[in-house]
Amino acid sequence: LFAGVRQAQWLTKTKLVEGLPPAVQGIVDNPAHGLQELEERAKHAVSHARLWDTAEVAPRREQYCPVLFENLIHICRLMSGKYPSLSKRMLARNCRIAATWERESILLQVRGLSGILLNSMTPIAPVASKEEILATKEHVLETFYPIAPTIDLQEVNVYKELNDTGQCFGDGYPYSHPHTLFFLESANTRTDRFRPEQLRAKMLMFAFGNALAKAKALHGNDPKVLEQPVVVQSIGTDGQLFQFMVFQLNTTDLVSNDGVKNLVWIDSDQNLYEKAQCVPEVKKRVVMKPAGISGFQPDTFKKFLALYLHGTV
Amino acid sequence: MAALGARRLLRPGRRWFSETVPGAPSPPAGPLYPPVVASITAKSKAAKSRRLQRFNQRVHAAATVEEKLRLYGKLQRPKYMVYPQTFALNADRWYRSFTKTVLVPGMPPRAAKPPAAAAGTTPEAGRAPEPGAEAPRAAEAPEAAKTPGPAAGAAPYISMGELRSLACDALLQESFYQKKKRPFLYRDQDHTPGPFLTQLVSTLAAFLSGRNPLLAASSLDLNPEVNYYWHHGEEVVVHGHRKGRVDPVRFQIDDNPHLQIRVPKQLPEVVPLESDLGDVPVIDHKPSKLPLFKKQYENKVFIGSKVADPCCYGHTQFHLLPDKLKRERFIRERLEDQIEVVYRSNGIASLFAWTAAQAMYQGFWSEADVTRPFVSQAVVTDGKYFAFFCYQLNTLALTAETIKNNPRKNICWGTDSKPLYDVVEDGNVKGFNDEVLLQLVRFLLNRPKEL
Repeated sequence: LFAGVRQAQWLTKTKLVEGLPPAVQGIVDNPAHGLQELEERAKHAVSHARLWDTAEVAPRREQYCPVLFENLIHICRLMSGKYPSLSKRMLARNCRIAATWERESILLQVRGLSGILLNSMTPIAPVASKEEILATKEHVLETFYPIAPTIDLQEVNVYKELNDTGQCFGDGYPYSHPHTLFFLESANTRTDRFRPEQLRAKMLMFAFGNALAKAKALHGNDPKVLEQPVVVQSIGTDGQLFQFMVFQLNTTDLVSNDGVKNLVWIDSDQNLYEKAQCVPEVKKRVVMKPAGISGFQPDTFKKFLALYLHGTV
Repeated sequence: MAALGARRLLRPGRRWFSETVPGAPSPPAGPLYPPVVASITAKSKAAKSRRLQRFNQRVHAAATVEEKLRLYGKLQRPKYMVYPQTFALNADRWYRSFTKTVLVPGMPPRAAKPPAAAAGTTPEAGRAPEPGAEAPRAAEAPEAAKTPGPAAGAAPYISMGELRSLACDALLQESFYQKKKRPFLYRDQDHTPGPFLTQLVSTLAAFLSGRNPLLAASSLDLNPEVNYYWHHGEEVVVHGHRKGRVDPVRFQIDDNPHLQIRVPKQLPEVVPLESDLGDVPVIDHKPSKLPLFKKQYENKVFIGSKVADPCCYGHTQFHLLPDKLKRERFIRERLEDQIEVVYRSNGIASLFAWTAAQAMYQGFWSEADVTRPFVSQAVVTDGKYFAFFCYQLNTLALTAETIKNNPRKNICWGTDSKPLYDVVEDGNVKGFNDEVLLQLVRFLLNRPKEL
């Protein structure tokens, strides 16, 4: 997407709020969850992924990015010893998402492999209050005239308007609520990876697609303002930088430009660590930088965990 | 002449010196000449043994474990590649002879767990209802009977219903609910059983982590690499410029388990170090008759992560059998008895490599034998049938010199493969077998006695 998040906002009729919503921030700041002890484990997880995982000297990004993600998810999952309701979650890999909607007489569609999806039995409660939702009515979506909003989008002939999230909803699937989407940018060369801005836009589009498909499954295909907004979270990373996003779908009435808008909270460019040194850097027989992880930021991991725990705590 | 005269003068001088310092012995304390040992560079058996001794001393004196491993595997020569997942007939007998392992059928006897105190619970006794144990209890409480915990603060007992629902959900998620494309040719195992195993283990481990603090500190690896290199026995080099020399037989295992759990503390020993539970099969043929082939490449010793990792002991490995070794293929070729051999050889070889590599990470090697047994577990499955193995490594000394006076043997307990379920249709799992799930849960709950 060319203009990044701004374009995605227009396409999905969304208002942007910087930072994480207060509910998630509350989980981060709450000391009762014991997030301090997990710092040590998170540091081990990062060291394992970046330094120790392979018999070679240094693992490549294609290897360490998924391993880091698995390690962090493992630490999060182990919290279900403390919160038994966390076991009501199911991770689905390689799921395919498809959603269609109309936007000012342009038919838009989101399709493709959306990475890794975490489903849960219970939906996440709406993060924004009713007043905030109504207040978005006044918000005007910014357009970037003269560039059309549909720039950089592929035009295809669509024969079937599909709406599903890769799982069968109607068959009594117990984990029917999409909870969090994870995106791993693990290509080795920098040109194959998405830049942070585009990664955020991609996250927004897919979160919107999932939420829309779920809303249509729950409330039918007619465009209307939702009584129970659907909340889907999204986390994207390239192994070092993390982007956190919480998306709340308030309305499926996307044809017009007015009315209630959807909301998204984005916390972007959080570094988990500064540098991972595999071999100590030595200049003139003096060790300049010792081997190991430097500049570890526990806050990023706390936010990761908070987004994971959100909805059950 | 002057010298002669000087010496004549010196002789009384010497006696004169010895009179002034009575009783002082003049020769030095040690021998005058350096010890007479074999040369280092000669082409003789004594020189070869001296070189071996010097190499052993170098490895003994290595400062760090990485240095020790580097010296241990420095010399590269052609070696046999041992594959844990192999179609070779009766491979488990051969592998037992290579690794000096005794196979004991069934599971190891469980030590009596401490009685349920205020905080601890006995998962064995508290598993209500245990199928196959006592019929009246099973009749009383068929489904999810969550018996209340004994004292305040104790967690409630686990119910079979919950575990069963977790397992069934994982199975249905992978096989039924998630829309996937058709499986790739001969890649059936990656399509459904692989993801099912990952889901099952991760959800079960997370669920049981409240009960087993070792699991709460564990590290889960997806598709790790496990390597081990060792010598066993001797042979004569057949051809080449080294023809005629007596060489140790070198083996290397390169294994890729589907999933493994590593923990920071070691699992407790099952039987004492010097126990003898059976016989190791002796095979008179060369290993290449198995068939086993030689190649020369890097001698790796690796448990899944480097030495610096705090989680350096192994807990459980999970292996997925590939499509090449599926049961229908063996039945079609009328080799039904080889089905169990596949599971056993996979269990023995993978676990030997893992436990031996863990021992090397702690500094033990074939000249410095282990002082405590290393225990690890493994589950070998093809998606439906599960076989459980528990391995105790008692000795690493398998080379020709060190094996002579070594009475210790490694021990492997193993079960036959049993199905977890019969069939999955229409969103229902039919014929679910609780015993297999129970054994899996017991494996995951295994922990040292202090915890």
